[in-house]
Amino acid sequence: MSQSTREQVMRHLEAVGYLQPALHKPQQAPYPDEIDHSLYRAYTRSAHDVGGEPDTPMTWEEKEEEQWELNTFATCECLAWRGVWNAEERRRRQNVDLGQTQYLGLPYYGRWLLTAARILVDKQHVTLTELVSKIDEVKSRYEQN
Amino acid sequence: MSKIEHDRSHHAEKATGIGDPQCFHGEAGPAKFKVGDRVRIKNLPDLFYTRCQVYTRGAIGMVTEAVYESPAAEDEAWDNTESPEWFYSVVFRQQELWPDYPDLYANDTVETEFSERWLEAV
Repeated sequence: MSQSTREQVMRHLEAVGYLQPALHKPQQAPYPDEIDHSLYRAYTRSAHDVGGEPDTPMTWEEKEEEQWELNTFATCECLAWRGVWNAEERRRRQNVDLGQTQYLGLPYYGRWLLTAARILVDKQHVTLTELVSKIDEVKSRYEQN
Repeated sequence: MSKIEHDRSHHAEKATGIGDPQCFHGEAGPAKFKVGDRVRIKNLPDLFYTRCQVYTRGAIGMVTEAVYESPAAEDEAWDNTESPEWFYSVVFRQQELWPDYPDLYANDTVETEFSERWLEAV
């Protein structure tokens, strides 16, 4: 456990090294006078507003939804039906609130699922302690089988 | 433990059997713009959340339809649904939006929707 956890930590530190802000600077958390209005607006923009940004062509591929993706969709719809959020609140959370790195870096339904867990914690339907304990419990059970 | 009430069930109840945004029909008052009006997209602050694409700010387009009434995305995203607005479909010439758009395709257009707060008469 301990040894593999340490290896996991080292792999994690290597992975987050790739997730630095796209604007590379020798020193992060700059002094206020280093941020002009253009930079301020770029940093605080809604991450989903990508129209007009330079990018390379993407290959269009047909992909069927996987079972966990369908389950995630149904879960999120039930959360709306039961009054936990509305659709626009869901979009704000899964497209903007999680920030540009996660918006661009995670699969589409991965963001839905993460956001469904987040809203339940934010609105005190479950505590983070309960969520983390459950994840840990399920993980142990899964690793035994 | 103190808990803030975050009950959004009123939204689902309001839309049941009617649909969203149809459930806000008749709540926005008279539409400020009509089909054929030339409008400029305002450059309001886009802090925290918006559905108004930044590439349209300051551009001039033409209203093609008053499509529905709904709370603006910036309100609805925090469940502020008391003040629905008219939404409009607006068409732009691509050359109005993109400085390098080729003359060969000068007739190309793009059409997208805005809530009323983003539009001003030209």
